Amino acid sequence: MSREEDKARFEDVVMPHLTDAFTLARWISGNRTDAEDILQEACLRAYRGISGFAGGSPRAWVLTVVRNTAYTWLMKHRSPMLVSIEDLSATESAEIELTDGGADATGLTPEAELIAKADAEQLKCAIAAVPLAFRETLVLRDVQGLNYREIADITGVPIGTVMSRLARARRHLFMAIGAKQQ
Amino acid sequence: MTTMSNTPPMDPVLVHAYADNELDTTSALGVAREIEASPALRAELARTEALRAALREHVAPEELPVHLRAKIDSTLGLTKAGSHPTWRALAASVVLALAIGSASTWFVTQQPPDDRTTTALVDSHVRALMAAQPADVMSSERHTVKPWFAGRIPVSPVVVDLTSDGFPLIGGRVDVIATAPTPTLVYGRRKHVISVFATPNADGTEGGVRTLPQINGYSVVTWHRGDTSYWAVSDLNAGELQLFAQKFKAAS
Repeated sequence: MSREEDKARFEDVVMPHLTDAFTLARWISGNRTDAEDILQEACLRAYRGISGFAGGSPRAWVLTVVRNTAYTWLMKHRSPMLVSIEDLSATESAEIELTDGGADATGLTPEAELIAKADAEQLKCAIAAVPLAFRETLVLRDVQGLNYREIADITGVPIGTVMSRLARARRHLFMAIGAKQQ
Repeated sequence: MTTMSNTPPMDPVLVHAYADNELDTTSALGVAREIEASPALRAELARTEALRAALREHVAPEELPVHLRAKIDSTLGLTKAGSHPTWRALAASVVLALAIGSASTWFVTQQPPDDRTTTALVDSHVRALMAAQPADVMSSERHTVKPWFAGRIPVSPVVVDLTSDGFPLIGGRVDVIATAPTPTLVYGRRKHVISVFATPNADGTEGGVRTLPQINGYSVVTWHRGDTSYWAVSDLNAGELQLFAQKFKAAS
């Protein structure tokens, strides 16, 4: 493939998804400055690998490249211990415990009311504190609106794992935001 | 159903898949019943929906820095980089505005084309949500709502009381669907609104409750009763809307 063809392909496949790509990089790295570095590196990788894009969802492909780049970047620039420790499978298999949150007959709870009233600042701080593997799943689903299948493809885990990671990520947010009143 | 108390408790993770509309209709219906029966699962669903709504409202996708886009363009020597910067920036901001402006934007591309009636019903439902009140007569009393229609349109719909099932009556309104004035009942479910449209059932078929493909993120279910077809539209999960339809059908 010629250089011009690669460029054209890159513009078609990657450029429409830069906002998505930047959003994912921002939430994996934790800030916009690092996300800029990651996105530039990811674009270079995507450009070099563009002939390997075999069709399918361009958005999922771009997000996969960004995610891989972000992990490499984190291993290089942050303590590798921190990156891997967050991913311990022990937290993955822990039981989810339910409380009824003081539900009334309609299912509305003081806890749900509290969550509904959370502002942007509270929500963003709470997301930042969620362990990485759960956080990226949450962001892909609840900020970027991808479905479970797409998230499974991007993060390279089965759909069941996506489901449980999402539940756990949300559990972290419930505890950070919904439990403040006690 | 009667053995429910003997079955092990459902994995709460399924509540999340249910809230995300990731279950097929049959599983969703089963999960809806489990949720119905368990205060703890109901609370989990309420928390999850509250969180999803809060994130949708407050945590938008990041805005791409303009200088970053320019840097990527120039690093890779993209051909159009210099020639249409304003157009590009404009396109990016439109995409972003769409993404922020409507959560349902995400679903649009996934929707198969649907027949015009269903689209018209969803449109009416959305219009009603944008009005100050979703109903023209606001009352939880069916003996108030039913006579209200009598003075306005020739047909008077069946009005059922589903308060004890967690679907309180909110009121009624008259919509115009394909030029025909149509009675619409409005029910609530937590903070969700359900519109129930009643249209003539031309071919007189009966049958169970059918779930139709979602339109712009709205669930639609339909069923027939005698010479009337009912259509329920809501942003509730397909499973919960199914449950509503079955309760409605059973009570009417």
